[in-house]
Amino acid sequence: MKNMTSRLALLAGLTAGTIVLASAPDASAQELQITGPLAGAPAVRRLRLHRDGRFDIAPHATFTLLDEFRRNVLFGARANYHFTDSLGAGLFGAGGISYNAGLADELQTKAVDGRDCADNPNTLACRRTAVSLCRGPNCLEESQLGSIVWMLAPQLTVVPFRGKFSFFGAFFMDADISLFLGPAVVGLNERAECTKGECADNFKLDSRVTGTATFGLGFNFYPTDYMSFGAEFRATPLSWNTSGFDIAGPESNFPDDAIDTNDRSFHFNPMLTVFASVQLPTAINLSD
Amino acid sequence: MAIKQATVGLWFSVALVLTAAPSLAQTEEGKAAEGAAAEAPTPAEDTAPTGDATAVAGEEAGDADAGSLEELCRIDPENCVKVDMKAAADRVLAPDMYAVQQIWALRKGRFEINPYGSVTMNDQFVAHPGPGVGLNYYVLNWLAGGVNGNFYQELNAESDFNFETSRAARVGQPITEYQWNVNANVTLVPAYGKFAVLSNFIFHYDFYFLAGAGAMSTRPKAVVDPDNRTFDWSVKPTWGFGGGIRIFFTRYLSAMLEIRDYMFLEDLENPSIASGIDSRGLPLAQDPSTWLAPDKSFTNNVQAQLGLSVFLPFSWKYELAK
Repeated sequence: MKNMTSRLALLAGLTAGTIVLASAPDASAQELQITGPLAGAPAVRRLRLHRDGRFDIAPHATFTLLDEFRRNVLFGARANYHFTDSLGAGLFGAGGISYNAGLADELQTKAVDGRDCADNPNTLACRRTAVSLCRGPNCLEESQLGSIVWMLAPQLTVVPFRGKFSFFGAFFMDADISLFLGPAVVGLNERAECTKGECADNFKLDSRVTGTATFGLGFNFYPTDYMSFGAEFRATPLSWNTSGFDIAGPESNFPDDAIDTNDRSFHFNPMLTVFASVQLPTAINLSD
Repeated sequence: MAIKQATVGLWFSVALVLTAAPSLAQTEEGKAAEGAAAEAPTPAEDTAPTGDATAVAGEEAGDADAGSLEELCRIDPENCVKVDMKAAADRVLAPDMYAVQQIWALRKGRFEINPYGSVTMNDQFVAHPGPGVGLNYYVLNWLAGGVNGNFYQELNAESDFNFETSRAARVGQPITEYQWNVNANVTLVPAYGKFAVLSNFIFHYDFYFLAGAGAMSTRPKAVVDPDNRTFDWSVKPTWGFGGGIRIFFTRYLSAMLEIRDYMFLEDLENPSIASGIDSRGLPLAQDPSTWLAPDKSFTNNVQAQLGLSVFLPFSWKYELAK
């Protein structure tokens, strides 16, 4: 009887164990997911750190977008030092040239040359546009339309996205997406201010330096360990008078026959930068 | 005593569980590995043959116990494994490897439904925002055919810039309104990849390009002589191309951003007002044949399209490692 009881107890223990065992596969698999060797592991191992502890020097060409009257092409360089692979600081500098957009040429042809207000000053159109439109060949470009001349921007760069891409599954390249932000000093050419009564005879460009912010997004591709190329989209919001027109006066009165700060309008000044970059030192580190 | 024996039984079972757990995991992995091996494509000819790999493995094992290998070679010289380790190490291996394995963005044989909103990128005088939708079918992972359409009516908006420029310079800029367009498209997806967000979260993306042709309904807006002129919608052929990026949140849902250029020959309002009267005694300014500019204007309607892509069916099964 005693043996029977013992055997039953042993059988009960084994049965309980078997039940535990039978339910173990799912539990153990789940356990592996929580405490297995990959638990807590980084999403990426042995990552090539293209930025960590390196300088990044990039000559660039920058093109303004959505220009109303003058297109600007700025040439310069960007220099950054990256404290980590995802954070850097540096300087963006550019200066360049500008040329007429289609609308400026059309205005020059139809509204300036076509009206010939120098010889027909008393026509209605010439009288009404005396303050806003210059007179003479190429006068819009030379004396009235605004342009961006140079730009200097210390900036912080954050690199939240790092990865790679494939072209038809045959060609692979490291890539990252960076965000940048900083103050900016911008040099402009803009129609000189004038007061009521003198603006019709006062068409000339003046230089102005203004402060603002700049920010944007960059796409960077790394064909080698020490060279990259890419493109940046940048906005540099500021108010300026791109046309040289009298478009508003105090309390939005029009016309006030004066060219002043009331005639400036807000622009984001979007730009596209294309660059090639060298990373120094040329040796690259790997993450864990 | 019975309790003691039951406890022993439980401890025995616990021991079984503890020893079984790794075994089970191993079994699962083994099954997976076997499945993968069974489904794996035949190795390329320049891939190392299995026999060599076994030999190398044997040699490495022998290194760990050199005495045993030497003993084996002494006893049975015929079957002694002789491997030139340097030559084996210098061997060129070219196994089939993919930098992005098991990509989320498998598209072959799936439909893509793509609702989006669009804004005009290149017209400072009038904006043509509107909703749109695309439908594509992927015949290959990198090739699709489909259609898309945009709706603009009642959403065209003149800009302040247009008003200010017209007023200050006393010029009328011919502007047009859009009603709708539809296009048949061919889409090419040459590039895909993945990004890690601050090394924590990985998402997949792809780049695509497309070209298409279709029809577009537009009309000029009367600016020069609005007292006499009214324009009806008319349909023009359109063609164009574009490119975009998709970022996948799940295997069937992604966000997309596309830049698209719809090109067409546009009718613009005649900047001149006809003078005189016609044979019926009516002013020529009221004759609709004088309302349009004599030449058509080549127009690029560049728009940014931001939306979602939903792939159907929602899921699929990988048959190969790639």
